[in-house]
Amino acid sequence: MARMKFLCDADRCIECNACVTACKNEHEVPWGINRRRVVTINDGKPGERSISMACMHCTDAPCAAVCPVDCFYTTADGVVLHSKDLCIGCGYCFYACPFGAPQYPRLGNFGSRGKMDKCTYCAGGPEADNTAAEYAKYGSNRLAQGKLPLCAEMCSTKALLAGDGDIIAQIYAERVTTRGYGSGAWGWRTAYKDMVAG
Amino acid sequence: MKGITTRLHAALVAIVLGLGIGLAAAPATAPEALAQAPAAPPAASEQMLFNYLQGDVRGRVTIPDQRAAMLIQPAGRDFQTFWRSTMKWIGGIAVGGMLVVLVIFYLVRGTIRISAGPSGRTIQRFNGVERFAHWLTASTFIVLGITGLNITFGRELLLPILGPDTFTAWSELGKVAHNFLSFPFTLGIALMLVIWIKDNLPSRVDAQWFAQGGGLIGSAHPPARKFNAGQKLIFWSVVLGGAAIAVTGYIMMFPFQFIATDMAGMQLAIQLHGIISLVLIAIILAHIYIGSLGMEGAFAAMGSGRVDLNWAKEHHSLWVDEMMSGGRDAAAPSGARSAGAD
Amino acid sequence: MLIKRSDATRARGGIAQAFASFSAGALDRRAFLRRSGVAAGGLAAVAGLGAGTVKRAEAGPMQPGVPVEVKKNICTHCSVGCTVTAEVQNGVWVGQEPTWTSPINRGTHCAKGAAIRELVHGDRRLKYPMKLAGGQWQRISWDQAINEIGDKLLQVREQSGPDAAFFLGSAKFSNEGAYLFRKFTAFWGTNNVDHQAKICHSTTVAGVANTWGYGAQTNSYNDIRKSKTVIIMGGNPAEAHPVSLQHVLQGKEQNRANLIVIEPRFTRTAAHATEFVRMRPGTDIPALWGILWHIFENGWEDKEFIRQRVYGMDDVRKEVAKWTPDEVERVTGIPGAQLRRVAEKFAKEKPGTLVWCMGMTQHTVGTANVRAACILLLATGNVGAPGTGANIFRGHCNVQGATDLGVDNTTLPLYYGLDEGAWRHWARVWDVSYDYLRGRFGPPGADDAARKRMMEMPGITSTRYLDITMLPQDQLEQGQPNLRAMVVFGHGGNTVVRMPEAQKALDKLDLLVVADPHPTTFAVLHNRRENTYLLPICTQLECNGSRTASNRSLQWGEQIIKPIFESKTDYEALYRLAEKLGFAQEMFKNITVRGKEPEAESVLREINRGGWSTGYCGQSPERLKAHMRHQQHFDLVTLRAGPDAPEEVRGDYYGLPWPCWGKPEYRHPGTHQLYNTHLHVKDGGGTFRARFGVERNGETLLAEGSYSVGSQIQDGYPQFTYGVLKRLGWDADLTDEERATIERIGGNAPDNVSWATDLSGGIQRVALEHGCIPFGNGKARANAWNLPDPIPVHREPIYTPRPDLVAKYPTRDNFRAHRAPNIGHTVQKQAVERNIPRDFPLVFTSGRLVEYEGGGEETRSNKWLAELQQDMFVEINPADAAARNITDGAWVLVQGPEMPRDKFLRVKALVTERVGRGVVWMPFHFAGWFMQEDQRPKYPQGTDPIVLGESANTVTSYGFDPVTSMQETKCTLCQIRAA
Repeated sequence: MARMKFLCDADRCIECNACVTACKNEHEVPWGINRRRVVTINDGKPGERSISMACMHCTDAPCAAVCPVDCFYTTADGVVLHSKDLCIGCGYCFYACPFGAPQYPRLGNFGSRGKMDKCTYCAGGPEADNTAAEYAKYGSNRLAQGKLPLCAEMCSTKALLAGDGDIIAQIYAERVTTRGYGSGAWGWRTAYKDMVAG
Repeated sequence: MKGITTRLHAALVAIVLGLGIGLAAAPATAPEALAQAPAAPPAASEQMLFNYLQGDVRGRVTIPDQRAAMLIQPAGRDFQTFWRSTMKWIGGIAVGGMLVVLVIFYLVRGTIRISAGPSGRTIQRFNGVERFAHWLTASTFIVLGITGLNITFGRELLLPILGPDTFTAWSELGKVAHNFLSFPFTLGIALMLVIWIKDNLPSRVDAQWFAQGGGLIGSAHPPARKFNAGQKLIFWSVVLGGAAIAVTGYIMMFPFQFIATDMAGMQLAIQLHGIISLVLIAIILAHIYIGSLGMEGAFAAMGSGRVDLNWAKEHHSLWVDEMMSGGRDAAAPSGARSAGAD
Repeated sequence: MLIKRSDATRARGGIAQAFASFSAGALDRRAFLRRSGVAAGGLAAVAGLGAGTVKRAEAGPMQPGVPVEVKKNICTHCSVGCTVTAEVQNGVWVGQEPTWTSPINRGTHCAKGAAIRELVHGDRRLKYPMKLAGGQWQRISWDQAINEIGDKLLQVREQSGPDAAFFLGSAKFSNEGAYLFRKFTAFWGTNNVDHQAKICHSTTVAGVANTWGYGAQTNSYNDIRKSKTVIIMGGNPAEAHPVSLQHVLQGKEQNRANLIVIEPRFTRTAAHATEFVRMRPGTDIPALWGILWHIFENGWEDKEFIRQRVYGMDDVRKEVAKWTPDEVERVTGIPGAQLRRVAEKFAKEKPGTLVWCMGMTQHTVGTANVRAACILLLATGNVGAPGTGANIFRGHCNVQGATDLGVDNTTLPLYYGLDEGAWRHWARVWDVSYDYLRGRFGPPGADDAARKRMMEMPGITSTRYLDITMLPQDQLEQGQPNLRAMVVFGHGGNTVVRMPEAQKALDKLDLLVVADPHPTTFAVLHNRRENTYLLPICTQLECNGSRTASNRSLQWGEQIIKPIFESKTDYEALYRLAEKLGFAQEMFKNITVRGKEPEAESVLREINRGGWSTGYCGQSPERLKAHMRHQQHFDLVTLRAGPDAPEEVRGDYYGLPWPCWGKPEYRHPGTHQLYNTHLHVKDGGGTFRARFGVERNGETLLAEGSYSVGSQIQDGYPQFTYGVLKRLGWDADLTDEERATIERIGGNAPDNVSWATDLSGGIQRVALEHGCIPFGNGKARANAWNLPDPIPVHREPIYTPRPDLVAKYPTRDNFRAHRAPNIGHTVQKQAVERNIPRDFPLVFTSGRLVEYEGGGEETRSNKWLAELQQDMFVEINPADAAARNITDGAWVLVQGPEMPRDKFLRVKALVTERVGRGVVWMPFHFAGWFMQEDQRPKYPQGTDPIVLGESANTVTSYGFDPVTSMQETKCTLCQIRAA
């Protein structure tokens, strides 16, 4: 079974934000919920790199570990999903997530922050695949249609890779060999306890 | 499922092919090409940055939510470890341990009787306002404690019993209760502080009380004013611990808004909230035990507000003296016998 | 966070209730909008309409069981030309999928393309025609709008002549819309027509065309994959053309190529460069000459290429010799050693290409800058081969096509110019008499000579309309009255410099018409109360038509959904106006019109019938549609369809990049690389165009010993005419029909009928059959003697931070161009005398953000994009910020040298090392705040863009290129202080 991962090639990412708006467009994600974002480090200086970041669908996901109601689950493809029916909006996953992935409709936590929302790897949620109920809560389920996450599919420079971890790691390694440099697969060590050539 | 997987693989092949076209078309790297290759741009690798920053990787984002500017915060993993194991151990040991200790103590010592037996005469120990403050704090604390423990241990203890839907419904209710009851709890703490602070300042008597182990060791009753040293400890634990819990709790309720405005601060707040709460729960368990099952006559102090004079003399001799001299005599219930037990 | 609309209370309870049933989950869009109040006004406005007129696209998941139609169109944002694949159910655009088959974008998009579906959801679109009545926006019908606008236009025409009107068109037109717009103005009788190309690449077009023939990108985005050295100068394609970076970066990786970025600002593009060269804004010519100095000094130039294909390089040597490394460093700030490294790489590690954008073009010396860039390419032999060339990245989705089709004050469609020959050519194509067209021109009662004079006089430009409106009549070119009416299609009002002046000019107009999907800055900048109309026009996603990407490829977009609300296509709006103005009969004589909507295919066929000069003759709608159907058969690098492709596209280059010679049935494949002698002309090969004669001062202007593969003339040759064919004896190859057409056109001088005016296509066909290119085989010009500076010379910006250099490098003397005086020299002199740099010490430059485009109304109304850039800002160096007590994210006040002394821009500070010390940068997409006045209430209800902000062009100042009247937006001065 494929183990789905994301890999952002920082030597390709130009902070065009296509991944961000593709996600918004595909899932109708409201303002203030940023399932994916692009962060630029060393802004304006030599060595500046932009990295597109969302839920990395970690191995041994910290969010799942800290969830008081155990609303997370990992699919057979290694995608970390959660049930909005079970989520109580406590916010702990946000503090545990190394990548700032969990998002909440409200900033304040009084009463409730609302159901947590995060990148689903375009794989929907526990509802039946591609139903209106699933769309309303999680957005579309591209994986079930045999498609990959739209952010990666639409990445302008093909910096953001999605797919079987072994294959995208291979692609990245080949790129590094071709061009002779690479600044590493951002987040892989943290997410998968794994490093990629570069 | 198999169909989906097949299609998924087809899509994967498509995207990989798309990505790989360039690679396939890449000319074989000739040695001279390597020799001429421009120096790699000065790019920081993830590993380098981690080593350099010793922590979070932050950058610039265009969206207003500056929390999003944190690219990677390895501390999340530490937080996870704390939450998943450290705190559960601490909580388990503190709360569970206290329960065990109390059970053992009860089995060994049993209920501590009034040495002289009930006198039948009572003395006003806590007035209405005092009892209100206590019970306001106590009742909310119990709910807060249970709902808090639910967040900490419910997943292991309750979820398997209740099932996910019921457990979520209960937890959500618990969360709402936890949030709302924090306000009366905080009020109770504040009231208690105002009412009782003057009686809880440390004094020399306390040393003696400690020296005698609060009377638990042996059968002597060390003298005490309105509050003995043990009660003072409880008081300060509740007031200071409660305040700390309140502050950290409000930080969690309004995240990133005050005091803790960054991730590390928030994580610390949650950790403090958990630890202090668990320790306080353990302390309060002891308090509940001694105020009810553990000691004859103690509950009445917060129940009716009146305690048996003998109980009072044994545990708060100096206070009784003050009361007596202050003219606030103990009232005898009508028809009580006046047989001097003294 | 969220923008709360102040008029949220306008929402009616009924609406909230009506939408309540949709609010199923946290992600529901409508529920979110309702909660946030973001769309409240818009929805309320919708409710006010009759149900029958509201066609609102609902977002949401695909509905199971409903058939999905897949439609392909082209992204309407930049010039890269990314294919957009839309999934439509029941006439609603429900999903967008990657287009893996497009060789241009291969499935990818940037932020704008990935969010493009939102454009047709229409929350903030202009929904129906409106007019200002007593200062209030009022809904009117299309019929009423056209009637009132038409009456007013006719009144202005009667009183002041057709030149009292100005028609500002759009780089977002389809080719067919652009062509109709230009044709419309010709039938109205004025050359006062312009569009965004004026302010983006007009200087490129002028400079490049004057060098080697055509003013366009010589190669393509894909072709950069073959380059070993890429210089990007005055451009930030990572933000302006993100998908192009796919080709640039992959090429860079595979070839281990040099990527050199020469810029005042460390851009997102610079972050990926192997070498970043920081220069002072406005010193492009010294920088380029500085590179050439090293090349000439070391003998690195391509001597054989220069000998065979370049005229006048020795004159360049003389000028370049003045630019020693020391002088270059003194003027530009670039160290000599760094430029030497750049020069050596560009000259030796070939093929090399030079990419430029508006950093190069938007200057008082824009044309000269571009010329210097071309000369660098010529000197190193980096033109006319794969991996080389002037890769000019253009701006809007069809700015290339709109330029080609003559939405411009200096030419009729396809660069025929404005002379009598041009008018006669188009009169033949349009099937109207030359006399009829001439009769449309000139003031009331003018004689034929006066009419002919106005007919051949270049019109006014988008950069000078304010002066034409405001200046005393006697300062304008004789025959040009003050402007009284302005009709704006698809053009923002914040794109032109000197906005405080523009506001006054707009107030003075008798009529202002804004036809656009969104009310642009033109709708709110002014304080007008009457005679102002808004016409809702649909986007290109809602209509059929072709558009030309920057690489000259034409792509056919099919209508994804019907125009939403009451919006109409450009075609229909123009038809209705023409009908009202009384020339629809003549104008649409040979064009199919359905109802009131001209058919795009039919318009393109008319373009084909007249588009010989630029090779727009072979791209029939059928061929373009076949290309879209068979995208997957085109090669990523060569763009050519291989032998296994279906017959209808086999051998073609993708999108039939012009020139695509001959009639469609001749099946010329198009031209991937212009002037590429390594290919047969029938395979898209070519030579430099022999456009400037055959000889000058005894020196030949024709190529010497260079020719395209398979040419039967193995040397230079002039452009083909019937006479030339006869001399070569090739006229025998013409068919009888072709000969008859030529003789009919030529009248009593058929020999003069050329490849560009022969409507039969015979001359082109015969030339191609003999391996020759119809436009001749000439030399490129290093010396363009007809331009103000035949050899580019450095001239300091009008407002320069270096007044000490003005004496040596002054701007040009005052002159007159495009019917208006240009007093740049006086302004510069005064600026130096008054020591403006003392009070305004910071150099101000501007540019583009990836999330927004152009004037920005469209993209700032797109909530997915608006969320990413919520505030107008100014980038300022940490040192300059510290000196002014400015912190990152704080509000600051910005003032330009020509602004009123008590007015400021209020923007946020972005403290960053992207900009060097003494330089500040602003994005130019914002509007809606005008010198601290929030103009949100001035927008018609529900159409205000989500994000408003101060406009960069409120700061920008006087300064125009002598050749095209391009404005100076990249270098002025300003002062900033903490708010």
